[in-house]
Amino acid sequence: MNTHTISRFITESKLFSWLSGSGSSHRFPAGKFRFRPERVVSFMRPAFMVFGLTLFLASCTERIDVELDSSYTRLVVDGSITTDTTAHTVILTSTSSYFFNQPAPPVTGAQVSITDGTLTFGLAEAEPGVYRTAPLVHGVPGHTYTLNIKLAQPIGGHEDYSAMSTLEPVSPLDSVSLLFHPEWSKEGIWEVKCYVQEPPTVDFYRFLIYRNQKLVTDTLNEWFVTDDKFFNGNYTNGASVAYLQQGSPEEGLRPGDRVTLEVNSIGKAYYTFVTEAQAEIRGSNPLFSGPPSNVTGNITNGAVGFFSAHSVTRSVAVAPQFP
Amino acid sequence: MRNSDNSPRLYALSGPKKHMHTLRLILISLTVLIFTFTGRAATPESSPKATLSGYIRDASNGEFLIGVSIYCAELRSGTVSNNYGFYSLSLSPGTYTLRFSYIGFEMQEIKVRLMKDSVADISMAPLHAELGEVVITGKRTDANVRAPEMSMVKMDIKTIQKVPALLGEVDVIKVLQLLPGVQSTSEGSTGFSVRGGSSDQNLILLDEATIHNASHLMGFFSVFNNDAIKDVTLYKGDIPAAYGGRLSSLLDVRMKDGNAREYKVTGSIGTVSSKLTFEGPLLANRTTFLVSGRRTYADLFLPLAKDENVRKSKLYFYDLNLKITHVLNENNRFYLSGYAGHDTFKNQFASMGFGNQTGSFRWNHLFSKRLFFNLSLVSSRYKYQLGTPEGEASSFRWTSMMRDYSARFDFSWYPVSNHTLRYGATTTFHEFFPGSATGLGSATAISDFILPSEYALEHSLYASDEYKISPAFTLKYGLRFAVFQNVGPGTYYNFDASYNPVDSVVYGRGDVFHTYSSLEPRLAFTYLVSDVSSVKGSYSHTAQFLTLAQNSTAGTPLDIWFPATPNVKPQLCDQAAIGYFRNFSSNRYEASVEVYYKSFRNVIDFRDHAVLLLNPYLEGELRIGKGYSYGIETLLRKNEGVVTGWISYTYSRAFRQVDEINNGNRYPAPFDKPHTVNVVVNYEISSRWSASATWVYATGLPVTFPTGRAVVGNAVIPIYSDRNAYRMPDYHRLDVSATLKGKQKPGRKWQGEWNLSVYNAYNRHNAWSINFSHDSKDPNITYAEKTYLFAIIPALTYNFKF
Repeated sequence: MNTHTISRFITESKLFSWLSGSGSSHRFPAGKFRFRPERVVSFMRPAFMVFGLTLFLASCTERIDVELDSSYTRLVVDGSITTDTTAHTVILTSTSSYFFNQPAPPVTGAQVSITDGTLTFGLAEAEPGVYRTAPLVHGVPGHTYTLNIKLAQPIGGHEDYSAMSTLEPVSPLDSVSLLFHPEWSKEGIWEVKCYVQEPPTVDFYRFLIYRNQKLVTDTLNEWFVTDDKFFNGNYTNGASVAYLQQGSPEEGLRPGDRVTLEVNSIGKAYYTFVTEAQAEIRGSNPLFSGPPSNVTGNITNGAVGFFSAHSVTRSVAVAPQFP
Repeated sequence: MRNSDNSPRLYALSGPKKHMHTLRLILISLTVLIFTFTGRAATPESSPKATLSGYIRDASNGEFLIGVSIYCAELRSGTVSNNYGFYSLSLSPGTYTLRFSYIGFEMQEIKVRLMKDSVADISMAPLHAELGEVVITGKRTDANVRAPEMSMVKMDIKTIQKVPALLGEVDVIKVLQLLPGVQSTSEGSTGFSVRGGSSDQNLILLDEATIHNASHLMGFFSVFNNDAIKDVTLYKGDIPAAYGGRLSSLLDVRMKDGNAREYKVTGSIGTVSSKLTFEGPLLANRTTFLVSGRRTYADLFLPLAKDENVRKSKLYFYDLNLKITHVLNENNRFYLSGYAGHDTFKNQFASMGFGNQTGSFRWNHLFSKRLFFNLSLVSSRYKYQLGTPEGEASSFRWTSMMRDYSARFDFSWYPVSNHTLRYGATTTFHEFFPGSATGLGSATAISDFILPSEYALEHSLYASDEYKISPAFTLKYGLRFAVFQNVGPGTYYNFDASYNPVDSVVYGRGDVFHTYSSLEPRLAFTYLVSDVSSVKGSYSHTAQFLTLAQNSTAGTPLDIWFPATPNVKPQLCDQAAIGYFRNFSSNRYEASVEVYYKSFRNVIDFRDHAVLLLNPYLEGELRIGKGYSYGIETLLRKNEGVVTGWISYTYSRAFRQVDEINNGNRYPAPFDKPHTVNVVVNYEISSRWSASATWVYATGLPVTFPTGRAVVGNAVIPIYSDRNAYRMPDYHRLDVSATLKGKQKPGRKWQGEWNLSVYNAYNRHNAWSINFSHDSKDPNITYAEKTYLFAIIPALTYNFKF
């Protein structure tokens, strides 16, 4: 658990579930910190009934109109190469105004390749803006991969973009287990616990959850990423790495469901990118947030986004019968 | 962690010779300076001097009154009572008329035939404003015009109590936020920004002990329990030379000494909290005591909950104030005061607690009727802890603490009627324990993570003189010399040009390994243009050696203080202000206009996405730049009569420029609010009914909004405008309250009153934050959403006294 996560964990997810009512939407990474009066009321109803008034009873959110300027268009890169033997994907889009409210405009017709200096994989445009390698390609731990992009038309004044990422090795997972906490929310919450010997090197991790082979944590703001500051070199001994809400159609488990935990050893730069992006997506409040700031990616020439090379280890747990 | 047995004095003695030399030099030159001036000043009045001195008390309860103005009609000159109610006037023998005046009290005039040193202790009776009756005859106080201070606000507790409050919980700091130049940092917050400064640039003292975090319950309440407080003074500029270490302001809060006449119980039962104060005389009226407690009780009802987890939860804060004052004899007085406050949050997932503890011991000694001495020994501690319950792999406990021990002495010397000299010295030993996170229980997978503690010494030496050159012209000048020393043991990192730590140096116990010093001149003048108007000006230079690692506007209890080090230079500020003060209708109305300009150097801001908690390389997150602020503050105030209150308008701007932030371009500082209007009205409807209203308007705080978006990992990532290029919507709010006093019957000791207050009476949804969110079904649909905290909130409080 890193400092970001600890503070976020405490300040936003668990402790302030009291105030924000996020105790019922309990999952790493913490949901947006919001005072949710209806939840507070249900959580503390007896107190309120006697008490009559409370600090946060009246706090609410409402949609408002804000006029925003637009900034110039930039290239957006979202790509990776992993130790899995598969087709690896790089998605090219462009930025839009904030209230664009449509899928990001794809950037088509680009020449895209990934190389480790010896082997070069060309990526073909499988659908508009989505570029894929051949199906049986895999990355090798310790190699540094370079993504090269040549656009058909320049964006933001540039045609050529590149990014570099070193593929970090990962210790294989011993096992994963599931623990049900019926009291944590109305329908209960599954805690996903991870067992692995963490190596003494400085490492950064991303944890993804699949339910019956389908990725549950399919968006960036749902990923749990961490550094190893607090358990460097330790046996993790069942540290929580994800939470699944039984009440959610995407996350709820039936007996026999297979829950796969995927652990990626990611580089520091990708870790930073994900934590910064999560902080910006989560939004800000006057208590905990610093000034909003742009997310630091690794693409050259002012493009937004990230190209990551990382290793993969997986382990499966089967959902038990539960009361 | 280290034992607390390290005496600060030990370190002072081990300081480098060079600085001891400088200190000695300064000391000598200050002494020479003082003697030269007073020597010269003494010449014109060569006839033998007689001194009139004494203490000024509130007749109703025997509390010593601070800042009473004493005006000698014959000399057209005077003085004010000091922080302990003492005054001294040295005059040539003769007959004089002395006027004692103080806001909220009946003016008292005495005639004295002064032949030799005499003592005149004065008791002043509080005013009782009655309907339809002009209470005061004779002259009203003209302190606003005459006082040699500017940019200073004194709040008496009665005024504070009348202002309608959030949830009925009257708060000193929130009332100060209604004055020009003082801005609240966020809705409902007790954090405040003075003239464009940050909230950590305010020195907050409670009986001379520094309060490191003045907030309760996420900042919605302050640590100051109104019932235990006697006097509140805020210096927005021209901070007295006796104080320093903060750039923007001094908030000097003094606790009550305790009723010297009779035992008294004061209390209130409110919507969020109850308070009880017990005070009275002890030991043949030489000793008084005060005990005051306050506790919120949201959680007293939790045991009634059905849910076991809720039953076990905790959510409260308390304050405890204690004070004992002992008058040993005419020349010696002792004061012992203490404060302890704590906030507790606990539920099944986590717990958190934080609070301040302070203690001050003071000894007042009169070396002569003209030389007043005070010695203070003070300690102050702020700490917090948070953690999760034992038994899980992620169980941990995280603690952080900061502690100060300080000693100071202050002399007030009244050699002649037109000079008041103040000089003294302070030394403080700071201990910082920035944070330690340790695994809890046998199941934990968390290793201990402990940030090294840091130690520092802060010394100062000051002298100032208030010189009444002529009845119309007063000059105040002073000098403060401050020294800040980093003391081992400590680990310090060196950083490269891109702020990565390259190596570290470990210093041994007691090593004074780095020293900063600063020479801080203070200068102010008051020129009486007429009996009812004056022009005042001031200049001050201040240095700040401690900074709060706070990157958000309102801050949290988890923000830690860190010292100046070889990597972090002290922040510096120069402030110049000029003002015009005018009273109307025989001092019934006070008006003032002040213009100020402040220039900041070594301003600390933080890099984008800074990690400020549990970060051993915190210094690498700092970005240093400069800043400036300016403004004009206007105030029209009516202190007496059936309708009292004030109206103020402030125009102010504040900017920063830091090379690595906002591409090096200037940006609005976090508390840049150009326009602010405050209206406070109190109306005494009848002897039993009174009503109050406040209205505030302020330009929204500057914010950074997205001007574009990118999709990565199926999520919409915002792309931002320049730093603080947008503004929150304008803020405005009306609060009203009504108070009904119980019937007064002769012989009845019990006095009760009901207070009904309505916060945000026209239910404006003032934005607390604006966020950009996406639709839960289609993440491509993005929208802006505002969070507001307080809609209309009524509250009922019952206050009593017997």
